[in-house]
Amino acid sequence: MWRRDGRLLPAGVAATLAALVVVFYYPVGSVLASAVHAGGRLTLAPLVSVVGDPFYHDLFAFTAYQALLSTVASVVVGLPGAYLISRFEFPGRQFLRSVTILPFVLPSIMVAVGFLAMFGRTGLLNDVLAVVGLGPVELTFTLELIVLAHAFYNAPLVTRLVTAAWESVDPARVETARTLGASPVRAFRDVTLPQLLPALLTASVLTFIFTFMSFPIVLALGGLDLATVEVWLFARVQNLDLTEAATLGAIETALSLGLIYVYLRFEATQLRAGGESRGRARTPLFAGWRSLVDPRRLALFAYAGAALVLFVGPLVSLVVESVTTPDGAFTLRYYEFLLAQQSSTAVGTTRPFPAVRNSLLFGAGALVLALPMGVVVSVVATRDSRGSRLAEALLTAPLAVSGIVLGLGMLRSLVFGTTLFGYRLTVTGPVAIVAAHAVAAYPFVSRNVTPALGSIDDRLVDAARALGADRSTALVDIELPLVVPALVAGAAFAFAISIGEFDSTVLLAEGVDSATMPVALERYTGNRSLGPNLGPATAMGTVLLAVTTVSFVLIDRVGGRWQ
Amino acid sequence: MKRRAFLSGVGVAGATALAGCINDTSNQSDNTLTVATYSSFTGEDSAGNWLKSAFESENGDATVEFTTPENGVNQFIQRKSEGAPIDADLFVGLNTGELVRADEQLDDPLFAETDGEVDGAGSVKPALDFDPDGRVIPYDTGYISLVYDEGEVDAPETFDALLEPAYEDALIAQNAQQSDPGRAFLLWTIHEKGADGYLDYWQALDDNGVRILSDWEPAYNAYTNEEAPMVVSYSTDQVFYHGEGVDMSRHQVGFLNEQGYANPEGMAQFADADNPELARSFMSFVLGTEAQSEIATRNVQFPAVEGVEPGGDFGEYALEPPEPVTFGYDELAGNVDGWIEDWARQVVSN
Repeated sequence: MWRRDGRLLPAGVAATLAALVVVFYYPVGSVLASAVHAGGRLTLAPLVSVVGDPFYHDLFAFTAYQALLSTVASVVVGLPGAYLISRFEFPGRQFLRSVTILPFVLPSIMVAVGFLAMFGRTGLLNDVLAVVGLGPVELTFTLELIVLAHAFYNAPLVTRLVTAAWESVDPARVETARTLGASPVRAFRDVTLPQLLPALLTASVLTFIFTFMSFPIVLALGGLDLATVEVWLFARVQNLDLTEAATLGAIETALSLGLIYVYLRFEATQLRAGGESRGRARTPLFAGWRSLVDPRRLALFAYAGAALVLFVGPLVSLVVESVTTPDGAFTLRYYEFLLAQQSSTAVGTTRPFPAVRNSLLFGAGALVLALPMGVVVSVVATRDSRGSRLAEALLTAPLAVSGIVLGLGMLRSLVFGTTLFGYRLTVTGPVAIVAAHAVAAYPFVSRNVTPALGSIDDRLVDAARALGADRSTALVDIELPLVVPALVAGAAFAFAISIGEFDSTVLLAEGVDSATMPVALERYTGNRSLGPNLGPATAMGTVLLAVTTVSFVLIDRVGGRWQ
Repeated sequence: MKRRAFLSGVGVAGATALAGCINDTSNQSDNTLTVATYSSFTGEDSAGNWLKSAFESENGDATVEFTTPENGVNQFIQRKSEGAPIDADLFVGLNTGELVRADEQLDDPLFAETDGEVDGAGSVKPALDFDPDGRVIPYDTGYISLVYDEGEVDAPETFDALLEPAYEDALIAQNAQQSDPGRAFLLWTIHEKGADGYLDYWQALDDNGVRILSDWEPAYNAYTNEEAPMVVSYSTDQVFYHGEGVDMSRHQVGFLNEQGYANPEGMAQFADADNPELARSFMSFVLGTEAQSEIATRNVQFPAVEGVEPGGDFGEYALEPPEPVTFGYDELAGNVDGWIEDWARQVVSN
């Protein structure tokens, strides 16, 4: 198969692998190796001691339990959103579709601040409840709030992936079912649902993995009594108990990779089901007075209200905090602080404008790298050859590795450097940051592109090949134009991951000059010039919110033109 | 002030190396002093920047550069154990527990013994001196205390009082595994209740609804948002908050058992320093009266040198505990990790 291909594809595979080895496999491998390596020889002792420790049984069980709850919550919140966006027409639909990516870019400290401002004891929700004589609800530092925050991050993933699947459901097949006498519910169950299921499962599996490895949200919104494996792992790293940390990381990675592998096998069986589709016409959401008596629409309005509280509430609270003193008075001094940082000449000052510029540049760079990498993986994935599931699982591994393990690995291998032939090689600076972001982002590109690529009619490619096109040409000329919407979605993800990425950025950034928006934001939380105060960070968070919202609407609009 | 910024999503051990010079040894001239410290020690209006300008203007062609890895001394312990270059001359911002960890992790010394070669080292308050081997010299100290809202609760006076129903769900503390004040507060309870009794005490605290948040920042933020009327913090709280129209009843400082736990911050020259002489002359400079006063004011911590009295707002609003307590190096060595892990396991299991 390979030998008949053009050079493009093998070169792409080689480049993807090379990038992965340098910024992923080698760093992560060097950490995980210490789980089975002590005093110069192989040992199972660390693994045995963790596996035999009842404390860890409870820790893993609790972590899985909260991940399960978080996954259910994300699906419950995300699915109606997909229904709304894919099946109804209303003003702002396209905008709404674009900004569902937004939670991905939001640094967790901002989300935590927004959540406390919204759902805290003195938060907006309790203020509103008090007006109507209810409450107060005590949500802070409870499992419920963590699950809610996980839904904030992951329900949009469910919405995005399922919306894309729903829009590509063939209306002819639904109509055929209806003409044959199926009720709308029956038609949905037998025709539509099977086509949504792969996307829904993708989203659920990813949500489970992400929330299993959740760290910053649990740390910020939960007390230590709600600690997850990842929180404990972080503490081990801080204490330099690297063997125990590596062992926990290895177990975690094995569980996640296993889950991804099982899922990929399922996905492969579903891929061939798709067909050519032009999508179904959307129903207007607002249909005069009838909207008010239609139970379906009423339910959607109720859903929209709840979604506003969950998604818009924390963000609005964040923006409000950025212009409010602790006493509740209006102030612009946090934005004045940003300007003062910008004009400061003191060493070690993180300036806001370069941070915005860096974020956009790194995001664009990551997008340029991650798109081809993701497409390469998707092409591998849509092959039927033996072992391609395993290859795909390995190529998707960045999703399965916790940020702490990756960050630690990068620190030890890339930042500290490796001595090779007498030279000390260190990989730092913007190029390394972009590579690290691309590695984190490409699995999202391939998760979007693989299903789309898989549903292309094989005969199209076969015809092109019969007419003399090599595999690469067929990919570029025939297949990619057919999957542009998926590529655009992948591009948005790549950009979002890059903007929101914190761990490796902060490790690889050479000096304050390559700080990004989240790094600047984190720096400002530690700045005491205005007293112990999150104001400066909320102002930077508001800037981040504005810059990224504009970016996503642009990506979607520009991409939309090519559809 | 070493309230290590709460790290959002910080993968690694806190990770940050916003360190321009870490991998950059090329322009290391003979007169560049590379100082590793925590990020809030540098930047606009910081103690670090004052020290840099003042030291440079007094020392002709010397240049001070800062490197601020956010996993602090862990960065250098790991560098040393991996055989990577240290690339810094001086570490500023080391506490007792960190020194113990460095010594327990490494076979070769990370820091050099400089005690006898630094002018002014002898004038440091003996109670703050925490390194028996004369490597680390304290330059300031904070005192861990409670901060409370006197409109909501009575002044918390003793550790035992915190177990009473009046203080149910009233206290926010921090995770001792990763937070300086959290660790200090835990050590303070061990100081009071003993290594045999502190877990029982914490079980009782837990039963009375204490909350353990990750670090000082979220804990204080939760306190500000009225999630609880008491928080583990510093006795310098009012320095930040005083001002016109500020309700100081929200910023009362409570010294349990008339005590406060001292958390001295020290500086030490790396054993691998390229510029050891310059590092030592910088350390002497830091111990000078004017520098001590500026550090205290800008870093909002108490001076380490006897007889230095920072005036102004600091002098007026910073409260010193009647009886400072702390664990020394020998008491922590071999114990501190186990104490903290047992505590954390108990909290997680609850």
